[in-house]
Amino acid sequence: MTRRAAPLVRAAWALAAAFAVTLGILLAAGAPPFATLAVMAEGGLGSQAAALRTLAAFTPLLLCGAALCVTFAANLWNIGVEGQITMGAIFAQGCLRAADPAGGLPAGLDLALGLAASALGGLVWALLAGMLRTHGRVHEIFSGLGLNFVAMGVSLWLILGPWKRPGMASMSGTETLDQALWLPALGGRPMSMVGPILAVAAFVGAAWLLRRTFFGLTLAAVRQNALAATRLGLRPGLRILAAMGICGALAGLAGGILVAGLYHRLIPSISGNYGYTAILAVLLASGSLLALPAACLFFAVLTVGSVQLPLSLSLDSSLAGVLQGVLVLTLFAARRLRPLSRRREP
Amino acid sequence: MDVVLSHIVKRFGQLIANDDVSLTLEAGRIHGLLGENGAGKSTLMKVLCGQLSPEAGEIVVDGAAHARLTPDAAAALGIGMLPQDPLDFPPLRVWENFALGGGPVLTRREARSRLEAVCSRMGFCLRPDVPVADLTVAERQHLELARLFDRDVRLLILDEPTSGISPAQKRTLFAVLRAFVSDGRRLVALVTHKLTEARELCDAVAILRHGRLAGSFAAPFDTQDVLTAMFGAEVAATATAAPPPPPEPLGLGTPVLRAANLVIADDKAVLRDVSLEVHPGEIVGLAGISGGGQEALLRGLAGIARSVAGELAIGGRDLAGRPATDFLAAGVHYLPAARMEEGLFPGLSLLDHVRLAFPDKRREARAIFAERCVGRFRLTNTPNARADALSGGNQQRLLLSLIPDDTRLLLADNPTRGLDAASIAQIWDHFRERAAAGAAVVFFSEDLDELLAQAGRVLVFFNRDMAADLPAASLDPGLVGDLMTGRSTAAANGGGSAP
Repeated sequence: MTRRAAPLVRAAWALAAAFAVTLGILLAAGAPPFATLAVMAEGGLGSQAAALRTLAAFTPLLLCGAALCVTFAANLWNIGVEGQITMGAIFAQGCLRAADPAGGLPAGLDLALGLAASALGGLVWALLAGMLRTHGRVHEIFSGLGLNFVAMGVSLWLILGPWKRPGMASMSGTETLDQALWLPALGGRPMSMVGPILAVAAFVGAAWLLRRTFFGLTLAAVRQNALAATRLGLRPGLRILAAMGICGALAGLAGGILVAGLYHRLIPSISGNYGYTAILAVLLASGSLLALPAACLFFAVLTVGSVQLPLSLSLDSSLAGVLQGVLVLTLFAARRLRPLSRRREP
Repeated sequence: MDVVLSHIVKRFGQLIANDDVSLTLEAGRIHGLLGENGAGKSTLMKVLCGQLSPEAGEIVVDGAAHARLTPDAAAALGIGMLPQDPLDFPPLRVWENFALGGGPVLTRREARSRLEAVCSRMGFCLRPDVPVADLTVAERQHLELARLFDRDVRLLILDEPTSGISPAQKRTLFAVLRAFVSDGRRLVALVTHKLTEARELCDAVAILRHGRLAGSFAAPFDTQDVLTAMFGAEVAATATAAPPPPPEPLGLGTPVLRAANLVIADDKAVLRDVSLEVHPGEIVGLAGISGGGQEALLRGLAGIARSVAGELAIGGRDLAGRPATDFLAAGVHYLPAARMEEGLFPGLSLLDHVRLAFPDKRREARAIFAERCVGRFRLTNTPNARADALSGGNQQRLLLSLIPDDTRLLLADNPTRGLDAASIAQIWDHFRERAAAGAAVVFFSEDLDELLAQAGRVLVFFNRDMAADLPAASLDPGLVGDLMTGRSTAAANGGGSAP
């Protein structure tokens, strides 16, 4: 096999193995395997409405995926993306509910400010985890996980407390924003194209940053060897904070887009596990920037399509979550357990 | 016990570490296995003690042939190895380490009584309840030897046993080894790259060169013959020539480095109260056993370990407590001992290393690579090669070529460890050039002979303290060895003081 073909063959083998295990799990769950997959694909891409729902899920996934590529580039396990999305949503909601759609600034500027605020919210939340890492020696996995719970608590407190609907608090969220403050929708559907465009731009920007700039090279240096980076005066601590900040800003922006472009209010658990799913997508793409959009799209289809499972096949929709996890784990295992793999001598 | 290694072949990928090596080890003798670093000595011994399986050849022990051995099988045959770096469990106590490994695990009482028995037989002094992490390298060797002797090892393999121990400890070890083979049934295989040790101890030596057997000699052997077999005729001639004398300081004007009552806190150790001046053009060697404080001094002077008290001025700038970037700006450069682990970025290309080291000139990285790395330091790799593909010598060449020209204080931790003779000569030539151009070089070497040959002044460390500051005139291996193991103090020996 040629050198160029080798990664393709590896990927094909890993995908085949993952597919086989997935079918096995479906059989074990008592589901007709091929029908289940067909229902999920149909539910995710079968109609224009389904495609739009998938696009709505794809947007935060791609934003968070791009964000995570930046932190992974510096060897950071930023588990706190969920919290950073939530904080972005809170900042966006706070900014937009303070805006006056009737007078004052033009609505477009209000929206831009709202999205900027969301990026700021995510950035602050990520820097908190970053500084705990660089100054407090708390690993970002633990601080990220902890801060996810804190962010969720803050959002619940706001929804049920200071920002509750007039009259009574509701778990369905805060009062809906004035329509003038929604991101411009497409063909009257509750879906804005601004989000996907921003997500693609963020992805391209992150790819450029990591591949083409000196900053990207220094992040790679910090990932490869923080000690050697210190020795060359590259200030790994500062680079880690910068990577966390960029990641948090993009994740926060995803939260802002969820508020201004999809829900038009702050709802509980607005992050919707996109932060965790994005980690899976980045792992599935295994560090390849080119493969990341495809992985995000794949998970968006799975997430949206699984809603159809209870309706069409009386299966629990959590099966999609099981499949996502199994797929990623199998892919990783398959890469190691590849047949005819040449073990390196010690 | 007689052991014959017959036509052993061992490959690692492209590299042939042992190429058809045959060797006979006779009972009652101490056999030396000599060769440069990377000649295949350790590989051959690992084949013999079952850690590696050879691709071809056989191991014949007392007439019985084996295609390969496992560590268990080798232990059952009475083959035991003292590895170069102690393979023990530092957090566990001495008796726990003694009880583990090789055969059934001993109970506490058994282990203690057997440890005591073997220690009194061999003249070791090991307290059973001390954690192994608190032992010196020599004591850890004794523990390992005690364990092997207790398990009735008959072929004892030692891999570079004298690195990291003092000359006095070396004499003790050699006496133990002679006693071990004196009954005529047991034997020792000693791996070393030091000819003097082989001359002192061995009854016979075999020389490996580039994986092949380059010669074998019985004692007494001719130095020139052995050197020629080790290095080839050309290098042997230069190896026997004395190194040029260390350079004189360029003048006692302003010191490059001035430390007063400096306290350095490294990850594991605190170095107390160092006062010191180093002048341009000096080459200063640091002597000490591993963990003695000399590594902490280097890391502290590089700004990687923090200076928590006292004064530190480099090139006239006050740097105590400042971040590492200020040290770099003051012209300090640190070459770590673990070149790949601390110095290089394994997955990045050589060109990226140049960009990272000279960020202001990163657009000219290719030109810099051609001029510095290839032209000046004779790096033989392509600019797009990854750093993890470099050999040890080329790793150090890359690191040398990344040192800025305006460096005033060059700090090097074991700069020649594991390198071949040509690379070592290149490094010392370069350091002398730097010193002649006005930089100061401070280095630590575990090899005392190298240290004394290259340094114009030696600072001796013991127990995280600077024990002595010896000018070139008062250097004597015995004295330095005693000082670095705490057997004597500078005052008792009338040792030198700072110039």
